[in-house]
Amino acid sequence: MTVTKILFNMRLKTMMVLAAVAGAVIALRLIDIQILQHNAYLQMAERNRTQIIYQTAPRGRVFTSDGVEVASNAPSFSLYYLGSNKDSEYLARLAHDFAPQLQVTEEKLFQTLQSGAQSGKAVLLAENLSTRSTVSLQELRFYYPGIYLVEETKRNYPYGVFASHLLGYLGSMDDRQWRKRDTKLGYRLTSKIGKNGIEKKYEQDLKGKDGGIYLEVDYRGRVKSIIEDKKWAAGSDVYLTLDFAVQQAAENGLKNSLTGRGAAVALDPRTGAVLALASAPAYDPNVFVPYSDQPIENTAKKINEYNLAIQGIYPPASTFKVITAAAALESGLLDVTRKVYCSGKYNAGSRIFKCWGTHGPVDFMEGMAHSCDVYFYTVAAQIGAAPIERVQRMFMFGRPTGIDLAGEKAGNLYGPTRRARNKTYWFIGDTLNLSIGQGELLVTPIKLAQFAAALASRGNVYRPYYVEKIVSNQTGKEQIVGRPEILQHADLKPETYDMLFKALKYTVDNGTARRVKIKGLDVYAKTGTAQNPHGEDHGWFMAFAAHPGEEPSIAVAVFVEFGESGSSAAGPIAREMLEAYFNNPAHAAKNKTETDYNELLVGESNAPF
Amino acid sequence: MLPFKKISTGRSRMDFMLFGAMIALVVLGALCIMSAVNSYSWSNPIVRTHFIALPVGLIAFFVGKSFNYQIYDEQWKALYGFILLLLIGVLLFGSYQRGSRSWFVLPFFSMQPSEVCRVCTILMAAAFLDRRGRRIREVTSVFYLGLLLLPIFGLIMMQPDFSSVVVTLPALLVLLFCTGVNLFYLALIALLAGVTGFFTISWTYIYLHPELLEIPSVNIFYALARNGWYMGAFAAGMALLGYGAWWLCKQLRIYLPSFYFVLATLMVLAGLVGGIFVEHQMKPHQRKRVEAFLAPRSDPQGAGYNVLQAQIAMGAGGIMGKGLFSGTQSRLGFVPERHTDFILAVVGEELGLWGTLCVLGLYFIILWRIIAVAYSSGDRYGYLVCAGIFGMFFTYMLINYGMLIGIVPVAGIPLPFISYGGSNLVSSLWALGVVQSVYSRRLRA
Repeated sequence: MTVTKILFNMRLKTMMVLAAVAGAVIALRLIDIQILQHNAYLQMAERNRTQIIYQTAPRGRVFTSDGVEVASNAPSFSLYYLGSNKDSEYLARLAHDFAPQLQVTEEKLFQTLQSGAQSGKAVLLAENLSTRSTVSLQELRFYYPGIYLVEETKRNYPYGVFASHLLGYLGSMDDRQWRKRDTKLGYRLTSKIGKNGIEKKYEQDLKGKDGGIYLEVDYRGRVKSIIEDKKWAAGSDVYLTLDFAVQQAAENGLKNSLTGRGAAVALDPRTGAVLALASAPAYDPNVFVPYSDQPIENTAKKINEYNLAIQGIYPPASTFKVITAAAALESGLLDVTRKVYCSGKYNAGSRIFKCWGTHGPVDFMEGMAHSCDVYFYTVAAQIGAAPIERVQRMFMFGRPTGIDLAGEKAGNLYGPTRRARNKTYWFIGDTLNLSIGQGELLVTPIKLAQFAAALASRGNVYRPYYVEKIVSNQTGKEQIVGRPEILQHADLKPETYDMLFKALKYTVDNGTARRVKIKGLDVYAKTGTAQNPHGEDHGWFMAFAAHPGEEPSIAVAVFVEFGESGSSAAGPIAREMLEAYFNNPAHAAKNKTETDYNELLVGESNAPF
Repeated sequence: MLPFKKISTGRSRMDFMLFGAMIALVVLGALCIMSAVNSYSWSNPIVRTHFIALPVGLIAFFVGKSFNYQIYDEQWKALYGFILLLLIGVLLFGSYQRGSRSWFVLPFFSMQPSEVCRVCTILMAAAFLDRRGRRIREVTSVFYLGLLLLPIFGLIMMQPDFSSVVVTLPALLVLLFCTGVNLFYLALIALLAGVTGFFTISWTYIYLHPELLEIPSVNIFYALARNGWYMGAFAAGMALLGYGAWWLCKQLRIYLPSFYFVLATLMVLAGLVGGIFVEHQMKPHQRKRVEAFLAPRSDPQGAGYNVLQAQIAMGAGGIMGKGLFSGTQSRLGFVPERHTDFILAVVGEELGLWGTLCVLGLYFIILWRIIAVAYSSGDRYGYLVCAGIFGMFFTYMLINYGMLIGIVPVAGIPLPFISYGGSNLVSSLWALGVVQSVYSRRLRA
């Protein structure tokens, strides 16, 4: 072998080794791209070729216990542009023709179109279009390829303000919320979410799964085929414990009351279920989900989220006398037949305490019926403040009712031990103030309703609940949400309850609560007028009712702010609520037939109070 | 040890392994082209052209195989004339397409003469080097060869056809290496290319990072390409530096020939001139490619888009691929140039890792067989021809794969046998025919 041949051989081998090394590097990198990073690249490829025009799923509906749909869905349309045509002249023409239909300015629509065309993605031009404008849009669509009209649904509240504080409303997400969203539910930046009340709390159930048209597009955004037309899955329905008629009566009553400000709560004393929870002023949640092509009054967007029923705290006034009476009866020191002379004032030594009237000689029954302050001053002075505070604790005053609503206020318990903890003194004047429910004592309307219900059930303090069950629209599965839950039992003697029931019935029959006297029903009630140094007095009304011989099935508390007096302002509302409740054949007496019952009510409604 | 010794002793007239790998690639290529343009009908101009080019290419292969390769050796001057004639012809009569004048448009087809010239240049350079005989190790051999090739490259750059240069130069380097040229000269050439590349790439890098211009030295460096005064000052400075280094060595009693210092200075200056030349010759789209190579993700919609989409296609294919005609990236047009430069992306997406490794393996077989033929050739010319053609295919493979996996800037170079492109297919098949010719005549010479 020649020298040259050896050299050639060597250099050829070098080249071959070089090729082998290069081949190995290439193969390794290929393995990296095609195996190790396969999933990431596959996703990118899928994102490249798929365009989705989403179809928002209808939200779950909300029903009252008697099956009235109080939150439903109305048909609406969304307009999308997914086009390959990036020509700005075409887009300008498009914007010019569509802008008048969509209630947007031409420039804004043109910008939206341009940014959409640049990104190559489907861009939402308008949502929540009403059926009215879709007719003309359908026609226009034929002249402009790339325009898609998608049928969707939008939230609708058929009864407007009905239970708006409970239902809540919908709104758009901001960036921060969107980033924190539950990714499983497939939210988009344009998705609406519940902002308050049930809409917010049960967002996950109500949401449903959005559908959409999955389109295959080429690199210029031209649609090649439809990959999948995925149907939406509607959200689950929520069933409330609310009674439609009672809630309606409460809202109408509050709206037509002296000031139009107040709250009314009705509970089922047997379970703690909320039959009505109204707060005035209320708002119409429909203003947050308007049809975009119809003008909205901006004033309507100013809403009052303040829920007076759970957030308003006021002194309970005379309604509290029931507690004082209970404490006195429980102590065994009270002789119910003993008469106290009311001259309109009570001398507490250093100070004169006034009564709201001059009642003459009153016994326990009369004292309750006419809500005589002097009678209760006398009783309180006799038993002291400590038993009254103890009974307050039994009924869980000063603590929230525990209803599943955000922002509930606790109110304030008032008594000597509370004072002692604050290291200040307790005077006789405090005892007297406490006995008639004035002073530092504060309750919310729902707390008073809970108290009324606890009284009606002879001591069971239930946690109020307003959602009964959630029913899936897909599987039909029922999920029970609200169950009766006794928070505490107010362990008073049966005789005490008997006496209180008697006194409260006497108040309805002969006393200040005559307005709720309904023939054929046992109604127990107590009025209250909270002294207000800043203006007119507040009106309170607390009642519960039963068919004769049955246990009470409804407890009501009504509050009218600046209502001047409990019996005149709040009483009629309570009566309407009770009537609405017992009007319902489902709530008829068990030992009576339906027809009897209806006759009874027709006759009663015309009777004078 | 590499196993090509045993096989080379066979008496066959044809290397069937080389032939088989070639046919397999061509078949695979035809399928992938049809898939890339999403059509298997005769009405598609690309499919039609490719299926016309295929038999023409096979004829070219057999012509190359049956002709005695020594003809090119004997008639190398005629070959040289032919190359110049073609290149001048295309500058005079060629049609201007996509920014370069490199096509002959004839009534029924068009052709790209630089593709044929590429193979002819290798044959011609091999003949020249063969004639240098024992004087191959002298520096004049390299020098004369450079002088000889200068008009060819000049004419090609006048079209301009950058990709042709990119493939031919490395092929010639491989040829020089295998000829047995002194490694020192080769190292010098490589250094020259390196310095040129350094200037080009660093200028582009500075262009991409304008904040660097605040450093005065960087600013002056960046201005070198544009300002004659700076260039002169730089040249003088380099000369001074060379002289200073020589003087210093002398003072330190280190005796090195002054030739080295002169050479080093000249190398840097030549690199600067080359860099300036490239800088001014580079077209905007080529500059974009360099930018995309330096910062691939900085502009996914722009320059980096092509490579990114090609990689997405390959990655999406996975191991098994999506199947022919089912790749979304290629079918829906996300991969650009999918039937020519980025055909491998189609292979990767539709045939998966098996496909890309298969093509790589077949290429490797071809390269290995060419080397085996080179080893077994009967004379030195046959050996040189094979080395040159090996260099050509090696460069093709390296750049095409490298561009896809992001280690080489996008150069716009097809993958022979697989990519669409009649001229390239015909000349590549002819080149392999010449290799077969060397093989079939290995025992006679």
